[in-house]
Amino acid sequence: MNTVLNLDSLRSCLEGILPAGLATCAPDGTPNVTYVSQLMYVDPEHVALSFQFFNKTRENILANPHATVLMMDPDTAARYRLSIRYLRTETAGPLFERMKATLAGIASHTGMAGVFRLRGADIYRVLAIEAVPGHSLPPPVARAPLLPALRRSVDALAGCRSLEHLIDTLAQCLERHFGITHQMLLMADATRPRLYIVASRGYASSGAGAEIPYGVGVIGVAAREQTPIRIIFPAAEYAYGRAIREQLEGGELADRLEASIPLPGLPDPSSQLAVPVRAGDRLMAVLYVESDQQYRFDYDMEDALVALCAMLGPCMCALQFEALEDDGTPAVPARPPPDAAAPPLRVRYFAQDGSIFLDDTYLIKGVAGSILWALLQDHQTLGRCEFSKRELRLDPRLRLPEVADNLDARLILLSRRLADREADLRIEKAGRGRIRLALARPVSLIAGGVQAA
Amino acid sequence: MTSPTVLTPALADFVTSHLSIHLAASDDRGFATLVRGLGCRRDPTAAGRLRMLVAAPQAEPVLRALATNGRIAVVFSEPESHRTVQLKGHDAHRVERDPDDTALLAPYIDTMVNRLATVGTPEAFVRALLHCPTEALCIVRFTPDEVFGQTPGPQAGQRLATGCALP
Repeated sequence: MNTVLNLDSLRSCLEGILPAGLATCAPDGTPNVTYVSQLMYVDPEHVALSFQFFNKTRENILANPHATVLMMDPDTAARYRLSIRYLRTETAGPLFERMKATLAGIASHTGMAGVFRLRGADIYRVLAIEAVPGHSLPPPVARAPLLPALRRSVDALAGCRSLEHLIDTLAQCLERHFGITHQMLLMADATRPRLYIVASRGYASSGAGAEIPYGVGVIGVAAREQTPIRIIFPAAEYAYGRAIREQLEGGELADRLEASIPLPGLPDPSSQLAVPVRAGDRLMAVLYVESDQQYRFDYDMEDALVALCAMLGPCMCALQFEALEDDGTPAVPARPPPDAAAPPLRVRYFAQDGSIFLDDTYLIKGVAGSILWALLQDHQTLGRCEFSKRELRLDPRLRLPEVADNLDARLILLSRRLADREADLRIEKAGRGRIRLALARPVSLIAGGVQAA
Repeated sequence: MTSPTVLTPALADFVTSHLSIHLAASDDRGFATLVRGLGCRRDPTAAGRLRMLVAAPQAEPVLRALATNGRIAVVFSEPESHRTVQLKGHDAHRVERDPDDTALLAPYIDTMVNRLATVGTPEAFVRALLHCPTEALCIVRFTPDEVFGQTPGPQAGQRLATGCALP
């Protein structure tokens, strides 16, 4: 392959912004030419073409694998011919899902939503790249380089000493160094195929605690396939809010998904990128960024955020265990609530699903609900207001899964959910490995329908 | 072999209405290649024949393949509507450019600027894409003997019977 021209430097031609031409040849020598909806970068030596319909192109490449693509740079109009050889078709898995999501964006961008349906991702080896002579425009003004932004972010993450610090630092870095204003971080639930929002920026409410099942929308597909999913045009079918609403209307998830906490997010994002955060083979989280601007996140941005998340995953994992280390500070007795005469906050708990209501308004359910209930019980019966994460990890009342569940992330989510609700009840940090329950008025605990204490 | 009736007046009107064009040819080893077309007009000397404008330096591999076997495929697409047809022929070859061919390029580019503006493509981009100095402009002439509907969708690729409505 030409050493100067390589696919890595031509990736903007492979974004699907402008259609490419494809020439194939039948066994009897008859040429065929067509437009391809999507030509996608796979790696420096391979591209994928969308296979949507059984047609002459399909028939030809199965009989004669050689083909030529004519593609153009969407900024400069420079053209390139790629000599390619068909290898195989993928009909499921990460590459297929990436192509399917990208195609959904292209379809709605070109008015073809409902017409395009991906049957497979045809993988081709690139044999040669030729620059076609002709006029072109000067390249666009280069934006701020991403490597320095990545380096500054990696340095900042390396200095974090708690999960909460890590999560906040990540959000700050994305905002300051990458100029990303709409973002959320979703933790993977260790026991069920779903993610829950632990932090977000750029929205009216953090949405902490809202859930997204695997496979739904850009975020859910990125989690299920453990691959980044990027769409550079509006793609209604991948808008997670809408996708989840549709699933709920189907009834399948209605009783099991945390649907009472509204998802934050742009109503109709023009660009979306979801990047899985892994530690080894384990999915820890998904980072999601979005924008009202089309083509806000390109291949280079995807590379930068994938690299950042490659560091984030192991950091999360390490800090999760460190969080259980107690600094041994003795617990202080509960302080009286500031306003003991105020009417008590009624906290109702349903053990069946761990749901908690504050003064009859829903707060949260699941593990986070059980944690809060246990803290409040100990506060009422033992007068405690400080707790170590280590003891919580071992507390059977919390019904934490056997596998390593990210207790720290659950506590962060709980504390942010309480802050979102402006509840008279907060969870605060109380030194290393410890948390504090802070009450602005007395509480009255009601288990199920019956008053407990 | 060739049927003068393939290029019906309606089809000729459509393909000469300044559409997005790609021409493909295949060499005797079965390798197909392609180039962007820069306009299309009816051949004044023979009914049922078309003259295609291409930029010779860009079209070099296509012209080489055409010189060996004359087999050609040309796809025409209306950017605003995605209405697309593909024509095929067996007698394609390069012919001398005449002043009417040269005169076609400017209106072709102007129309493409307007058509692509409707899908958000900037004028400067279209003019760079379609730019061709007069001396580089060359002509491929052929007689379409097959026509296929290629508007995106499950019907794409179906042969259109002579005289049937365009997709």
